[in-house]
Amino acid sequence: MTNSQTSLLTAVLLFVTAFVIADDETVVEYLQADTGIRVPLQTVVPQYPEKARRVRVEGEVEVCFNVSRDGRTKRVAVRRSTNRVFEKPSRDAVRRSTYKPLPKGKELSGIKTCRTFRFYLSPVAIETPYD
Amino acid sequence: MSTLSARSLIRFLFVACLTISSAVAQESKTVIGPSNPELHDGANALLAGDAEEGVRLTLLGLKYESSSRDRLAAMSNLCAGYIMLDELVTALSYCDQVLEQNEYHWRAYSNRALAYVKLERYEEAEQDLQKAESLASNARTVKIVRSMLLDATDPVAPHIIIDERRQPVEDDDE
Repeated sequence: MTNSQTSLLTAVLLFVTAFVIADDETVVEYLQADTGIRVPLQTVVPQYPEKARRVRVEGEVEVCFNVSRDGRTKRVAVRRSTNRVFEKPSRDAVRRSTYKPLPKGKELSGIKTCRTFRFYLSPVAIETPYD
Repeated sequence: MSTLSARSLIRFLFVACLTISSAVAQESKTVIGPSNPELHDGANALLAGDAEEGVRLTLLGLKYESSSRDRLAAMSNLCAGYIMLDELVTALSYCDQVLEQNEYHWRAYSNRALAYVKLERYEEAEQDLQKAESLASNARTVKIVRSMLLDATDPVAPHIIIDERRQPVEDDDE
């Protein structure tokens, strides 16, 4: 394991706030900001692109967006990405995600929220059937 | 049947069908034609996913006189057909025959690699895949067989981290 992988793993262990299984195969970790101005309501997990999984490609995409008063994401754009194959699923996931509506009396700020998606592949253990 | 094995089967059929499809498309001048309707119908049956009928008609077509190119395409299709029927040893013998006559037949290498993967003969699959990749590096079927080999020898699970801890940025677009 490389130093960067070790650092990533350590960071993940320190900051994991949610750990869910999205479907049969994909493992999802959600590292949520503790000082966020807007509170996520529904966070959609992108699908790992099959095209990338087939050839064992990993990558990272940062998507920035505005959140409207009623909690919908707006002006979704990729700010940084290591591989284009991951951009569309990341953008789509953000577009389908929602935040809690802004309480009455609170002013809508002009700052963007950013969300980073890290796509990687971890080795799996194979169970040998004995029956 | 488990989800994984069902998915593998679908993938496998997909690859086999695509291989046949490409063969018919590129070699249509010799494979398809009134001179040997059995080979033509056999290829179409395989394309339609009817491996049993496809193999039967192709074997029948081989009994009639046909050009060496037709026979090569037919044997390549038989290799694919027998893979679809999961008769892998028979499939291998047809792929071997194709490659004995034409060592540059990437579809035969690709199909034989697929048969080797199914037989868990991964080293031989790797060798055939390398040859197929050197002959047709962009072929989709070859890429799919490569992924099947990787899934068999180096299985991985997708893992996604959603990180929202980054500080928000000023919206300078407005």
